[in-house]
Amino acid sequence: MARQRRLAEPYKIKMVEPIKMTTRAERETELQKAGFNTFLLESPKVYIDLLTDSGTSAMSDNQWAGMMLGDEAYAGSVNWRHLWDAVEDIYGFKYMCPTHQGRGAEHLISQILIKPGDFVPGNMYFTTTREHQERAGGTFVDVVIDQAHDAQQDHPFKGNVDLGKLEALIQKVGPDKIPYVSVAVTVNMAGGQPVSMANLRAVRELCGRHKRSDGRPIRVLFDATRCAENAYFIQQREEGYRGKPVRAILREMMSYGDGCTMSGKKDNLVNIGGFAATNEKDVYDKLTQLVVVFEGMPTYGGLAGRDMEAMARGIYEMVDDDYLAFRIGQVRYLGEQLIAAGVPIVRPVGGHAVFLDARAFLDHVPQAEYPAQALAAALYVDSGVRGMERGNVSAGRDKAGQERFPKLELVRLTIPRRVYTNSHMDVVADSVIHLHGERKDIGGLKLVYEPPQLRFFTARFAPLERVGLWEFVEG
Amino acid sequence: MDSPKAGEPGWWPEAEPFRIKVVEAIRRTTRPEREKLIEEVGFNVFGLRSEAVYIDLLTDSGTSAMSDAQWAGLMVGDEAYAGSRSFYRLQEAVAGVMGFPLVIPTHQGRAAENVLFTTLVRPGDVVPNNMHFDTTRAHVEHRGGTALDLVTEDAYDPVADLPFKGNIDLDKLEKTLARRQEPTAGTAPAAGADLSIPFVLITVTCNSAGGQPVSMANLRAASEICRRHEVPLYLDAARFAENAFFIKLREPGYGNRAVREIAREMFSYVDGCTMSGKKDGLVNIGGFIALRDPEVYQRATVWAVLFEGFPTYGGLAGRDMEAMARGLEEVVDEDYLAYRVGHVAYLGRSLKEAGVPIIEPVGGHAVYLDALRFLPNLPREQYPAQALTVELYLEGGVRGVEIGTVLAGRDPATGENRFPRLEMVRLAIPRRVYTRQHLDVVAGTCRRVLERRGQLRGLAFTHEPPVLRHFTARFERL
Repeated sequence: MARQRRLAEPYKIKMVEPIKMTTRAERETELQKAGFNTFLLESPKVYIDLLTDSGTSAMSDNQWAGMMLGDEAYAGSVNWRHLWDAVEDIYGFKYMCPTHQGRGAEHLISQILIKPGDFVPGNMYFTTTREHQERAGGTFVDVVIDQAHDAQQDHPFKGNVDLGKLEALIQKVGPDKIPYVSVAVTVNMAGGQPVSMANLRAVRELCGRHKRSDGRPIRVLFDATRCAENAYFIQQREEGYRGKPVRAILREMMSYGDGCTMSGKKDNLVNIGGFAATNEKDVYDKLTQLVVVFEGMPTYGGLAGRDMEAMARGIYEMVDDDYLAFRIGQVRYLGEQLIAAGVPIVRPVGGHAVFLDARAFLDHVPQAEYPAQALAAALYVDSGVRGMERGNVSAGRDKAGQERFPKLELVRLTIPRRVYTNSHMDVVADSVIHLHGERKDIGGLKLVYEPPQLRFFTARFAPLERVGLWEFVEG
Repeated sequence: MDSPKAGEPGWWPEAEPFRIKVVEAIRRTTRPEREKLIEEVGFNVFGLRSEAVYIDLLTDSGTSAMSDAQWAGLMVGDEAYAGSRSFYRLQEAVAGVMGFPLVIPTHQGRAAENVLFTTLVRPGDVVPNNMHFDTTRAHVEHRGGTALDLVTEDAYDPVADLPFKGNIDLDKLEKTLARRQEPTAGTAPAAGADLSIPFVLITVTCNSAGGQPVSMANLRAASEICRRHEVPLYLDAARFAENAFFIKLREPGYGNRAVREIAREMFSYVDGCTMSGKKDGLVNIGGFIALRDPEVYQRATVWAVLFEGFPTYGGLAGRDMEAMARGLEEVVDEDYLAYRVGHVAYLGRSLKEAGVPIIEPVGGHAVYLDALRFLPNLPREQYPAQALTVELYLEGGVRGVEIGTVLAGRDPATGENRFPRLEMVRLAIPRRVYTRQHLDVVAGTCRRVLERRGQLRGLAFTHEPPVLRHFTARFERL
């Protein structure tokens, strides 16, 4: 049997930021102030912050050095050229337009490509993505494989597109009603699950067979936010890719699409930044016109020059095989501790987060009482660890105003890149395992304030009953 | 002869109230290089790569040199997605300097406009302003509204040497608000009421009028009119500190008041503001909306989340909020403002002495060349200000920007060019970046172009984008 080697970080620490453990009494007060919504907690009151992997990475000394070389010219910044070259080199797209972050790119792409009445198939919704598609007049259609909606079912590529569902949609509405197929790599809402190369190839092939009336095949656009993590999973799990560098795998993945939106705040290892990339000249021209309205000039897109430089450098760092092995390994390290203790989590463990299956964890709390929200709140009170609800609250309401009750009701424990050590992971695991033992003490919640859009960000909650873990709540 | 007063042409504080801590190399290009470069970018200086420019006066936006304290702030930025302590630092700075309790950070000023206008402007609405800046106008029109300029007539006279040429015309404002359809509580709408006005904006200083300030008396009176008609009043506060310093210099009763106090009084007359931190926030990226009304705040956060980011980071890195918080404190420093306004005035005086026609008095952030007097023989259809901008680049590697017909764009209804009353080239001075020696080079460049103005040729479009055309348009020489 091959010897299992322990992996240490392929970097050493160059700068630190102090964090503080709070007392339980402090956390009880803070949770009430935040309306039981971990989004509303103040960061100094959080000990280990697993709210998101977005914009929370530790940059390298090389990226910080790049920050000092920021060319803050309004037009024609040299950093824009570096970013352009990096995108061309690593992703292979011909045109690139920077935006202040990923949702800025989604906004532009949705406004440019989607017409009212269009359908946008995708491998599972993401909150801001769907919101932008709907605002442009489109309807999102979920075409992810069924296994993605089943937390406990193991599958190496749970983010795959169900080709049958996609084909059926094309037959039903026709290629002209489909401005593009949106393929997320990896799929965040399914638990950071990857898409296989074979599946990407097949989606491309299927779209190529269905020409629109302008003679073009149906476009494939990637949400490439965590594309390097997806490429690493292909290297580890897919026949024929073992030993192939992630950099080459990523280029092949992107070759099956016509462009992408990117949140640089994830795989590009920066605190701010994003871009839209395309191979189509006419789409790029429209991007340059619209970007000035919402973001900034096409050569800075709402970013400081230094941030474009840091992103250009991050693009090269993200395809380092050693970095990715540690990164994915650390997420798995947390996940495997929880599995060993019998805690229900989404399996297999994804690329950027461990997702607690709140429905199984709190099987006594009905979904209308927001079990994932309750579990995230409980975790904060127990240990100062901040996770995020990804369930009924995040799914929001449909056009008729009804709650969507998604199949997955999850608490996401997202691991920032290069920030926490495995000792931090141990603290998180201890707290989750402890709560699992005391789970009957965790009761459901009710909404007390609900904003009309993207409610999970700013909604406020209160416990239904002041019992068990919620005994501290003041009437 | 009396020595010039602080802030007036000719006056200069002894030296910069800072020393240089880090430098960035710049390069002179040769004339043949520049000939080739400008042709490649279609005679639009927006298309030039930054390394092709020697002295870059394209904008004062996002081009400031940050202080060592701000750079240190970048290192303590809290990158938490929610509840970042850098957000709370920004909130404190905004409350301290401006007096607003509620803040929504945005990635820059136009994003603040997008969020606030999406919240407040409905199709058919009319938004009065002293003078809309290009992105402001674009956002109002994008929402289906009409942008109405109500600046005093003085603003359109390039040589009228008046202290507050950015003032809003109070009589026009009163008459416009009297046409509101929404009746003031307890009264019937006036006869002929036909306008829906969600709010009034005042831009300080008034960029499109040459960086001209608005007086405190004007703000106070405009506020009173708006209050009487129950219409909220907002500031576009991008250059609020420069405006406050002009009030100190020029308005009776304010000479001995601290700039900080003057700024607080300015903001006391309004319901909120949009802010581009890239100007008087002294940062390279960042902006915000500041508000008093929790209900407007609540509605605006919904759009902020969709367009920008979670309300405690708004599409900024935590470190950028930290730098902006520190910049807001630095910008109201009296010594800094005396230097800043004096620095711009120094360039204005040098140009005037050389006989170069400029907009007077010199504003707070830029010197504006009057292209109609500079090139009286070029017809407006040949975009004289654009032609002059190109020539300044060719002559000295200096990059200014056209503020004239190209920027004004076409009327959405008729498709015709909108010929603004002023045709200008803006030489915007980045904050704390260039020395007086750089400004001497700029003045020399302008003088040499003036000497051979008879040889300058006009331009025609070869590519004209439909929205905000000035950024990406291409031209050819006639």
